[in-house]
Amino acid sequence: MTAQLVVAPILVPLVGIVGLLALRRRPRVQRVASVGVALAYAASVAWLTYGVVLGPGAPGAAAYQLGGWEAPIGITLVADALSAFMLSIAAAVGLAAVAFSVVYVDRANQRAFYHPLFHCLLLGVSGAFLTGDLFNLFVWFEVMLLASYVFVVFYGGATHTAAAFRYLTLNVIGSVVMLLAIGGLYATTGTLNMADMARRLAAPAVYGVDPAPVVGLGGLLLATFGLKAGLVPFQFWVPDAYRAAPLPVTAMLAGVTKKVGLYAIVRLYFTVFAAADLAVELPGITGDSALAVFAPVLMAMGIASVLVGGLGAVARDTLDELLAYSSIGQVGFIAIPIAVAAAADPAPSGVDPATSLRGLAIAAALVYALHHALAKGLLFMATGAVRSATGTNRLADLGGLAGRSPTLAGAFFVGGLSLIGIPPLAGFFGKFLTFGVASDWLGLVVRNGGAVWPPAVALAVLLAGAVLTIVYATRAWNACFWGARTPMVAGAAVDRREVAVVAAMAVAILAVGVAFDPVYRFASDAAVAALDRGAYVDVVAPTGGEPP
Amino acid sequence: MSLALALVVGALFALGTFLLLRRDLLRVVWGIAVISQAANVYLVSVGGVVAGDGDTVPILAGHGAETPATADPVVQALVLTAIVISFGTTAFALALTFRVHAENGTMDVGELP
Repeated sequence: MTAQLVVAPILVPLVGIVGLLALRRRPRVQRVASVGVALAYAASVAWLTYGVVLGPGAPGAAAYQLGGWEAPIGITLVADALSAFMLSIAAAVGLAAVAFSVVYVDRANQRAFYHPLFHCLLLGVSGAFLTGDLFNLFVWFEVMLLASYVFVVFYGGATHTAAAFRYLTLNVIGSVVMLLAIGGLYATTGTLNMADMARRLAAPAVYGVDPAPVVGLGGLLLATFGLKAGLVPFQFWVPDAYRAAPLPVTAMLAGVTKKVGLYAIVRLYFTVFAAADLAVELPGITGDSALAVFAPVLMAMGIASVLVGGLGAVARDTLDELLAYSSIGQVGFIAIPIAVAAAADPAPSGVDPATSLRGLAIAAALVYALHHALAKGLLFMATGAVRSATGTNRLADLGGLAGRSPTLAGAFFVGGLSLIGIPPLAGFFGKFLTFGVASDWLGLVVRNGGAVWPPAVALAVLLAGAVLTIVYATRAWNACFWGARTPMVAGAAVDRREVAVVAAMAVAILAVGVAFDPVYRFASDAAVAALDRGAYVDVVAPTGGEPP
Repeated sequence: MSLALALVVGALFALGTFLLLRRDLLRVVWGIAVISQAANVYLVSVGGVVAGDGDTVPILAGHGAETPATADPVVQALVLTAIVISFGTTAFALALTFRVHAENGTMDVGELP
């Protein structure tokens, strides 16, 4: 029964899309049904998480072989703690975003295709988190992207079409690069199944595989995933696309689809590519796996993202642009711990992977991803509430909203404080763990006598990024909610239902922070799942190919 | 055969990149289409084109006919998927080009907002 649960988060949106399309002539029913589908999706994810990872006697991971075709030839769906953690983020933000859409987006715009497309976005995200096959990862990325293209062009104005065209062109090029890398990996290892690939890379001599090209092909994949995650130097599509899409969808794009790129990085590099034992010797880079090259590159991308995003956000004049740049910076905060995990030694024998630096760093990245999804989702939706109340989100035209709607102001305040990292909110633990692993890394390098500057620079940039976050979060809060009421705010009518959704997300952020222990254990399980290659291969049990 | 495929892939990528860097929107869409197909040809070529035998072409082998050179069937299945996706994306890009032109009154990428 557990194996069948794995397919549920894909089936629910799929059936939902068909049902919602059938209801396209009954817009009122369709809106209600859409929230119902989002609820069912969240329930299926909760059921999967409970049945596979968290419940008593749960196996920890489960694989579903579609159509009964065994791996590595058949299509495999794999749910482990890492997939379940990411799915939980998608379900939480997705449910809030659908509920917010129903009240925020114009009735006329919601007719017919908005809701089916929204669930198509969720479908693509779930597929990408669950697939155990590299080519299917590409296909699910495309499912997700095709839905997001339509959302970027949704309002159909001059700036929206231009933003969508740029977004489309970049992502098509990204997809082509991804295909090239996948083709190269197939030619190198002779398989597309990730578990089988990990198995073959771990014993290259047995399977007659030369693992060396994996380093370069992994670099191509890193470029694609960096593009999807909006990391510098691939960040330039982010502000345009985020401004063009409807704000509840932007909350999804920033909160969830960006994380798909980061999930793919963790899954492929740590679970699959790190299996290959190969001596890397490049100028300034030596190591014994593909991670040696990947760590400094991702670190540089993360550091640049924190700086570009933070400085960009400080200089913006509208709330949505400020938040779009902020999400570039915040993704950098997730990339840096992943890079620390790549730079750290794999867990020495006798050390619990959950408490090794690599495990801690991945857990830190996952906690930060959860916090960012909730906080940025909240802030984008609060921007939507501000815009529908006042008709603008230019910081100069706003002021004194706190007096008009204390609840909205309070929720925005919680989101802002969580971004800054004030206890006991979710963001505090994200920042705390991120700084913790960066300083652990510094300590490790000092003890082992390596080059001290990379961890020192990383720590300094994290600190600078945190200061920049304080600057732009304070600026957004002061400009919108504090000060004298502008004429636009004085005539504002705040929609209570929109505020209710935003407030619910604020409560979620507070709840994650207050009841942090189970959340951390879940994140820690997810980090162990990302590192436990043996368990991943066992659960997929690829039978094809030559026996080891 | 490998050399021919390598030249075709290289030429298609060169042409696709050239078109992508044009200022005209429609040429950019052409570039998207050409570069996607270049990736597909590359995918077929990574399967390796080998002389066929009864294992790779069972139907022809059973009839005693001469078996032609074939590529790995897995990559062909992948390319089929990739072609469908790239056609869909190209069709969307063409429709989007029309919208961009209608909204902005220009086909020049440099003049877009």
